Amino acid sequence: MKPNVVVTKAGQRRTTQMRRLAKSPVMLNWMYLPALLLFAVFIYYPFFRGLLISFTDWDGYSQIFHYIGIDNYKRMLSDSRVHTVIINTLIYGLGSTLFQNIIGLLYALLLNKHGKGRTFVRVIVYIPAIVSPIIMGYIWYFLLQYNGGAINDIITAFTGHPVNLLADPKVNVWIIMVVNTYQFLGVAMMIFLSGLQSISKDYYEAAEIDGASPMNRFFNITFPLLAPALTTSIILNLIGGLKLFDVIAALTNGGPGYASASLSTMMYQLYFARQDAGLAASLGNLMFLLITVISLTSLYFLRRKELSQ
Amino acid sequence: MKKRAFWFMTLAMLLVIFSGCSSRPDGGSISASGGDNAETGSGKIGSGKAKTTLSMMVNISDESLTKAYREIVDGFTKENPDISVNLQFDSNGYENTMKVKMAANDLPDIFDTHGWAKIRYGEYLADLRDEPWASQLTDTIRNVVTDENGKVYALVLTEAKDGMLYNVDMLEKYGIEVPRTFDELVAAGEKIKKESGGKTIPFYLSGIDDSTIGQYLDQFANPLLITAKNNEADALLKGTFDWSHITPLAQSLLTLKEKGLINEDVLTAKRSDLPAAFAAEKVTFALVGPAFMDSVHEIAPNMKIGIMPLPAMVAGDEPTFAGGERNTLAVWKDSKHLDEAKKLLQYFAKPENMAKLSNVSKNPPGLKDIKTDHELTPYYDKYASIRVFPYFDRVYLPNGMWDVLCKNGTELLAGRMTPEQFSESMKTEVERLSKK
Amino acid sequence: MKQRKRTVMYTVIGLFVALVHIIPFYILLTVSFKDMRDMSSKWAFPGYWFMGNFMSAWQNAHLGRAFLNTGVITVMSVVLILIFGSLAAFPLARYQSKLNKWVYGIFVSALIVPPLTILVPLYKLFVDIGFMNTYYGIVLLHVTFQLSMAIFLYTSFIGTIPRELDEAAMIDGATKTGMFFRIIMPLLKPVTATIVIMNANSIWNDYQFSLFFLQKADSRTITVALSSFFGENSAQIGWIAAGSLMAAIPSILVYILLQKYFVDGIAAGAVKG
Repeated sequence: MKPNVVVTKAGQRRTTQMRRLAKSPVMLNWMYLPALLLFAVFIYYPFFRGLLISFTDWDGYSQIFHYIGIDNYKRMLSDSRVHTVIINTLIYGLGSTLFQNIIGLLYALLLNKHGKGRTFVRVIVYIPAIVSPIIMGYIWYFLLQYNGGAINDIITAFTGHPVNLLADPKVNVWIIMVVNTYQFLGVAMMIFLSGLQSISKDYYEAAEIDGASPMNRFFNITFPLLAPALTTSIILNLIGGLKLFDVIAALTNGGPGYASASLSTMMYQLYFARQDAGLAASLGNLMFLLITVISLTSLYFLRRKELSQ
Repeated sequence: MKKRAFWFMTLAMLLVIFSGCSSRPDGGSISASGGDNAETGSGKIGSGKAKTTLSMMVNISDESLTKAYREIVDGFTKENPDISVNLQFDSNGYENTMKVKMAANDLPDIFDTHGWAKIRYGEYLADLRDEPWASQLTDTIRNVVTDENGKVYALVLTEAKDGMLYNVDMLEKYGIEVPRTFDELVAAGEKIKKESGGKTIPFYLSGIDDSTIGQYLDQFANPLLITAKNNEADALLKGTFDWSHITPLAQSLLTLKEKGLINEDVLTAKRSDLPAAFAAEKVTFALVGPAFMDSVHEIAPNMKIGIMPLPAMVAGDEPTFAGGERNTLAVWKDSKHLDEAKKLLQYFAKPENMAKLSNVSKNPPGLKDIKTDHELTPYYDKYASIRVFPYFDRVYLPNGMWDVLCKNGTELLAGRMTPEQFSESMKTEVERLSKK
Repeated sequence: MKQRKRTVMYTVIGLFVALVHIIPFYILLTVSFKDMRDMSSKWAFPGYWFMGNFMSAWQNAHLGRAFLNTGVITVMSVVLILIFGSLAAFPLARYQSKLNKWVYGIFVSALIVPPLTILVPLYKLFVDIGFMNTYYGIVLLHVTFQLSMAIFLYTSFIGTIPRELDEAAMIDGATKTGMFFRIIMPLLKPVTATIVIMNANSIWNDYQFSLFFLQKADSRTITVALSSFFGENSAQIGWIAAGSLMAAIPSILVYILLQKYFVDGIAAGAVKG
């Protein structure tokens, strides 16, 4: 009889263990396995293979190449064009993030509760985000073109001659930044709108009783409570802006030379046109690093801010 | 209310669009040519045989030419019901797609090598020397697609014989003879600009599609360095070339710009706006392939366009043409259907098909004894004795230099590089690329 | 009185904003209705209704077929994204162990991977495993690349669902997994709308993946089909404009349909996170 009891007890223990395991959160982890598998196969495996390319002199298509150590990285860091391109990328990334969020927030405040037809205006502001970026680039080319461009038609009407808006690298980088801002402004606006709508009315009522001015209310209630929305919006805009490609390709193709190129477009040209796949891959890794550092840093600061509220 | 109005508008728009399309299923001349990438030759149903499908990629987009290809492929599949052809056209993504395909060693059975049969695609191509048409390749093209071991890399449907396309009536109007030297060309340009009151700017280049600038440098490199009696060909091939000797090439481009003979918006203009500008008589000379003419004629059907050889750059030299592959077909060496692929090439090599492609594309055929008759035929006949030199970069520059030419040329026009710096940069890049 | 004045002011400013934002689309519209030979200013609306661009774009790019292909790919991808995404997000939101924080990091950092660095290895992989030119191949690619965003939003959203709900269900004897399906899933509607809009839109607009991984004449997607109008010798800008307009309509409709949920979805999924 004794052994039997032991078995039963052990069995019982096992079933309770099983039950505990079934209730334990670890068992839930199976749920992300399919996604993890996809990521491993289609993103991380190719990504690490791609890392290796940066240590070769591969031309991007031949079956023949050699490992050349860190030569590509040395070449990249000593290349003055790469410096310009990093600065451009930062302008595209940080600049559009800044403007998207400021204007997006203003629009959200404007279109939140008051005014007729605000749903219509929201749709209009959001539509550009729906259109494919390459097409958006072309639409803006229609506007900015030297000959027969819509904006130059107006300039010509006033001054008598058109201006080559996209030729000067001091200007075209900012134009591209503005176009990108215009396109994805709607996303920031929507995020802020949602943020605004999730703020309970009670806060405002309480503030009104206290006699707070509208300015006061904005800075003491609205803005702090929008902090999480701000975080999401900033991170998404940063990543999008730092990876910017299509609009540049359509408007200036990174030119003149590499003057308005971003890391993405320069990488593309090095890879395909210049047949310098090794250098292109190094640039890609630099870009990965840059975006990771920038977004993690901002995430760190933004979250800390959120918590301190 | 507003919402509903918006819905109605959207719905109405949709209706307009869809009814607009469906009411005229085959209206308009444009639609008659059909789609871009239709799979042709479905063959007979139930023929019992297992069907072979050949994949074929061609880098053209011009409507008339795609139509001609499709007709030829249709003719072939009619004769060979057990073979079908998945024919794809692509022009702007072609080179990139092919590079990725080469990297993965996964190429179409048949594809276009557009000037790079030996240098770029060579290691992936089947040897076609035993094909019946191989002996028929023209004298100008044979060496371009054959290596020292006798391997033939591609069937050349049409070959390039490029100089400059020009507006014939415009030169006549201003009483200008076809320029034979670069100085005459500049003089002609200045005259046209002056007498047109600035309406016509003779040259049109594009910094966005900077291959137009590369094209200029590539085409005029031959007259400067290769075609004259005292030439630098040997030095270039041996690697002893003094790169400061290429400075005048950069200088010539800069001269055109300084004299105001290149479109003012050169840095931001697009290549695709050139046909309209040419048709509107805003441009006189175009350094492009003849396929360009169709796009001009779409807008100005009666404009007379001619071709002239490249003016000489060195005293005592004669004008020349730049030559090479234009439309070609090559076979992937690891194709599972080598025999069928070769069969299709033989079909393309038939004289009537060669003539058709030549006439439509207005390029000379790549095989001998093909009778052609198209807009440029009188010009090719007139200049039959003019020497043809292969494109400069394909012979004298390492693979990968093309983009350097394009980018450096643009920097030059943007005023961010001097002609001397141009030569210096050419030197370093050539050294980097030659090391491999 | 004050209230009304404010409404009027907001309306006026709002309409002005709409006006500024619509300019590029106005230009797109005039270009798409203009005959190629019409050289008038892009501001001028043509005095005629020229449908030729729309018809030519539709027929020459085989847009009918392309709409179908793109639609199928988009729908299949989005469904899978919703399933995989919500599944993956649940443990990440509810069980924040060190391991799971890393896993979350892995998912989200995929947003940052530059597509071009992985293009060639990915292409090789596709050839090796026979995924080239297949719908399931391209669908799995889209799913993988859009999952980051979905997991990001779902995780934050589930984080806002009170844990008391879970516990109540657990007392009823449900396992965690069962609880997810019965309690959590139904609550995910708003954030799902957001994910549908954002992801469907990116997939609908995708060019690079479709270009490289779907190289068969009859499986072309809209963007690839339209890109054939950018020829070397001429860009048929009227056709491009008309085609782009048609391509954008389904996305715009989906957006308008779901926009109410969209706001709620972000509100809960991204804003409270």
